[in-house]
Amino acid sequence: MAENNNNKPVINLRPGGRGPGGPHAMGMPQEKAKNVKGSLKRILQYIGKNKHLLYAMLAVMLVATLLNVAAPTIQASAIDTITVTDKRPVIDIDALVQWLIILGGVYLVSAVLTYFQNIFAAKLSQYTVRIMRKDLFSRISKLPIKYIDTHKHGDIMSRMTNDVENVSNSVSQSLGSLISGVIMVFGCFVMMLIHSWQLTLVSMITIALTLLVSKNLSKLMRKYFPMQQKKLGQLNGQIEETVSGYKTVKAYTREDKVCEEFNVTSDQLKKIGIKAQILGGSMGPCMNCIGNIGFLLIAAFGGWFAIEGIISVGTIQAFIVYSKQFTRPINEIANQYAQLQSAIAGAERVFEIMDAEPEDIGGNEPFEIENVKGDLNFKDVKFSYVEGEPVLKDFDLWVKSGQKIAIVGATGSGKTTVINLLTRFYDIDGGEILLDGQDIRNVPMEKLRGSIGIVLQDTVIFSETIAQNIRYGKIDATDEEVIAAAKLARVHDFASKLADGYDTMLTEGGSNLSQGQRQLISIARAVLADPKILILDEATSSIDTRTEMHIQAAMIALMKGRTSLIIAHRLSTIRDADKIIVLGEGRVLEAGDHEELLAQRGAYYRLYQSQFAGIAT
Amino acid sequence: MIKILTYLKKYWYIAVLSPLFMILEVSMDLIQPDLMSRIVDEGVLAENMEIILNLGIQMVIFTVIGCIGGILSGVFGNIAAQSFSNDLRKDAFAKVMKMSFQQTDKFTTGSLVTRLTNDITACQDFVGMALRMMVRTVMQFVGGIYMVLNIDVMFGLVLLVTLPVQLIVVAVVLKKGAPLFEVVQGKLDRVNSVVQENVSGARVVKAYTREQYEIDRFSKANDELCNTNLRVQKLMALLTPVLSILMNASVLAIIYMGGLEVQARELEVGRVMAGITYITQILMSVMMIGMMFQQVTRASASAKRIREILDADPVIESGGFDGTTAARGTVEFKNVSFRYPGVQAGNVLEDISFKVNKGETVAILGATGCGKTSLVNLIARFYDAAEGQVLVDGVDVREYQLDALRKKVGFVLQKSELFSDTIENNIRWGKPDASDEEIRSAAEIAQAAEFVESFNDGYKDIITEKGSSLSGGQKQRLSIARAIVKKPEILIFDDSMSALDLTTDAKLQRALRENLGDTTVIMIAQRVASVMGADKIAVIENGRLAAFDNHENLLKSCEVYQDIYSSQMREGDERVG
Repeated sequence: MAENNNNKPVINLRPGGRGPGGPHAMGMPQEKAKNVKGSLKRILQYIGKNKHLLYAMLAVMLVATLLNVAAPTIQASAIDTITVTDKRPVIDIDALVQWLIILGGVYLVSAVLTYFQNIFAAKLSQYTVRIMRKDLFSRISKLPIKYIDTHKHGDIMSRMTNDVENVSNSVSQSLGSLISGVIMVFGCFVMMLIHSWQLTLVSMITIALTLLVSKNLSKLMRKYFPMQQKKLGQLNGQIEETVSGYKTVKAYTREDKVCEEFNVTSDQLKKIGIKAQILGGSMGPCMNCIGNIGFLLIAAFGGWFAIEGIISVGTIQAFIVYSKQFTRPINEIANQYAQLQSAIAGAERVFEIMDAEPEDIGGNEPFEIENVKGDLNFKDVKFSYVEGEPVLKDFDLWVKSGQKIAIVGATGSGKTTVINLLTRFYDIDGGEILLDGQDIRNVPMEKLRGSIGIVLQDTVIFSETIAQNIRYGKIDATDEEVIAAAKLARVHDFASKLADGYDTMLTEGGSNLSQGQRQLISIARAVLADPKILILDEATSSIDTRTEMHIQAAMIALMKGRTSLIIAHRLSTIRDADKIIVLGEGRVLEAGDHEELLAQRGAYYRLYQSQFAGIAT
Repeated sequence: MIKILTYLKKYWYIAVLSPLFMILEVSMDLIQPDLMSRIVDEGVLAENMEIILNLGIQMVIFTVIGCIGGILSGVFGNIAAQSFSNDLRKDAFAKVMKMSFQQTDKFTTGSLVTRLTNDITACQDFVGMALRMMVRTVMQFVGGIYMVLNIDVMFGLVLLVTLPVQLIVVAVVLKKGAPLFEVVQGKLDRVNSVVQENVSGARVVKAYTREQYEIDRFSKANDELCNTNLRVQKLMALLTPVLSILMNASVLAIIYMGGLEVQARELEVGRVMAGITYITQILMSVMMIGMMFQQVTRASASAKRIREILDADPVIESGGFDGTTAARGTVEFKNVSFRYPGVQAGNVLEDISFKVNKGETVAILGATGCGKTSLVNLIARFYDAAEGQVLVDGVDVREYQLDALRKKVGFVLQKSELFSDTIENNIRWGKPDASDEEIRSAAEIAQAAEFVESFNDGYKDIITEKGSSLSGGQKQRLSIARAIVKKPEILIFDDSMSALDLTTDAKLQRALRENLGDTTVIMIAQRVASVMGADKIAVIENGRLAAFDNHENLLKSCEVYQDIYSSQMREGDERVG
């Protein structure tokens, strides 16, 4: 339970996740907002990105607040038109009306200003959050595959929505009250001094109390709020995983067990949530109490001073308003402290991703996609996902420009790893990979990947239309090009039968297409991309062999003169390759064309045999 | 909303305490201005220090009581709200787990996640607020009016003018704003699903260097969310200034009226001051009610989305039959037709009939998209047949209790789904009480033992995010082990060996034959080599059963099968071995 005491989410060295704890480890790290000042500063930097809005808001706020500071004094003057002579109140009605008109004017102007202030604040918060979300997203899209493989997807999503939302709420609510609060506190302080320094001193007692209480409470809150956010992220991860692994849950009637596990996390969230929220909720009544005590002190001392003739009754009224106005911003900030705390905790989780090391963008050796010849050379490549478990050791492979290479080998022998390395999803530990004689690390990443087309084992379909999913391969493709690619990949056959044809919306988990049809779409995508180097990683595993044959014939024509790497298990798929590589023990065991390898009577021969003889033996 | 609130029932005794303590706090607050006015009138103006001190001590006592009330109200309110949302969350999650596939297809993963987190938090906040702030403001409103009228009935006139105006403004703004909140949640869903797709499809995005395209796609969703949010907030921006004008106008009116009355000696100065405080409180509380309505509309939008989950009764309902049958392991399709619910296009499967006997191995072969997966989905009742019957052990699957049916059936999916847990626990999904021995032997049959044991932690190794560390074939073999350890009567492989290399595939086939004994096996496959040894092969073509026979006979009589065969072993390839 408690072995998982680091502050960061479980990051394991390799996607295999050989770290302690694990996603279901329940030990809650004693996580605090680690660097409140730093995070606040960064949030402020984000806010600062809309300078004109910020300045406009500040300007409006300043005037509105000053008016609010002036109002009680005018009110006091109005009340002071009532004078007590011989214990009989006398009123100067003319003066009263005059003051009231001025006061009315002040209120009106301040209301109009408040409206603009609200508008500016709303815009500021929305724009800030928009930039923040966008930055976060661009950072996510720049994260290395390794990061994504080792972090819970649900948790990453939670940061994008829950945590950013938290920041958004506090920017819109807290920022305004924070700034106007500071102006207000300062203005009121000055006004109070002008009215009576004696009463001001009395009021300071309240202020001291306020600060003391809020400081102590907030210290506690800083402990619980990040814990709450983190649990929420964990819960999110659990939901995401079960919902997307839903079919298995059903097939194994594991609903109850999964619910049980969910309930455990949910209960933990509840417990932490209660603690955090109670602390947050106590701030209000405490501040209210202190406010009332302050109110009383002013009344008592004010009364005494009034009797002594040091101040007027109007001044007492003014002081009551001022001390309220003085403590209100502090109050408000204190009240929103809960919100602010979870916002900072949220912001930290957002910044954590933003601070994650982005993917290398490659070198800047001159490299033109059009000129890629496709000569690939893996030299003594060493690679392991986790130290001590090498997947590739001294892997050597030279693929000449235009060759069609098939990679075969037992499952887990590192076939997909070769592709992970070529596309630089992961970087090699030793040796080098050369493309047209250049180390791929010295080439701009974008151009490297731009020259490679890839169809993966796990099909990825985006919730867009069929046409858009194909167009992914080449954003500016014409409809004709899309359809041509679709015909080649045999997508056209089924797409044209759908009610909406190519405009049929696809969903990630939807049932409208079979797994094989999804693979066909991702093949069409690669066909459209028309890459210099084509990689098919088990791209046809769910497609029946007849359809595959048709596609393959078309693909061979298409790939003529281009380098292609094919990983497959069906001999029908690989037989025509110029060179077949048998991978095993982290290196190339055998290489040669179909006939040569059969003649060798080695690993390939045995593999080949099993296609036909597997059942018979 | 109201139905959701019934979740609070269980905690009513805690929930009730919260508003009670809140009433205590507000009552103490309401007494303050009155005491204050007496301090001014009887103390300050009368120059009586003793009264000031006396009343002062009273005030301190009241305020401390109020503070304690406030804190306790918060404690109970939070316990109630969090317990409420915890129960709601558990129930909603359980409901999601009971949904049928067509329903989860409809909701989408991203939306289900937001509903279970974001929306539930919104409801929780609402309950917390309702228990405390609502009681507080209503109390302040009613109490304030009572106190004001107590001071001077004339002051009521001011309220008579300002209150209706304020109510109208609040109502108009809310009416316009309410529908927008639902739109906001929908836009949030969209943002969520773009993120989800990008995280899980990161490899494709990177391989096609479409980062910028995705960023643009995201920006669009993000901008829409931002703009809708802004529309809501602009509307809300009207509230405070309008209300503060009204409030201050009332204060002015009271000072004026009060001034006249003070002069006429009908009222004391302190009372006017108290009047101002009360009127401010009343109008503030109306404003608060407005704010709360805003939260109410937001929460009710969320509540509606949660309701959709809670109300989604599984389309596929469990039958009553407990699954004890004399026959064990037979599957029969009787004139089965099938189309996906809610999809316009024609039938995926048309009039399929065949029978699988106990202990037989039946392979299903056919073109991409011909309905193979749909066919086996019907056996485990992931979907229901549109026409005809699917019988397991002679009983219609619709009559079975779902648990009983799925206990008989072991299902290996096309797309391996693994969970963040140890390898052994993933396999143990098949049989929760499986011993280590059973796990190991299942892994061995599934040809998984070798690679699992090569890991540092072996079976204790943790699978990360959906098995991203494992190769496709490794994932498939773990899924197969999971099904084997279950020891079902009927074992279904939905093209779940596609990522296995030929040698492993052959070994696996052999191990299955040797170890499964009289388990019925239904296997979707692409390779003729994998199906050749099956007792029968069902060839599906365009949703219809083209042939159902063994390899030798099909090779003689079935054109489709010959086609498939020759596509894999074409040009009279020597049959090695």
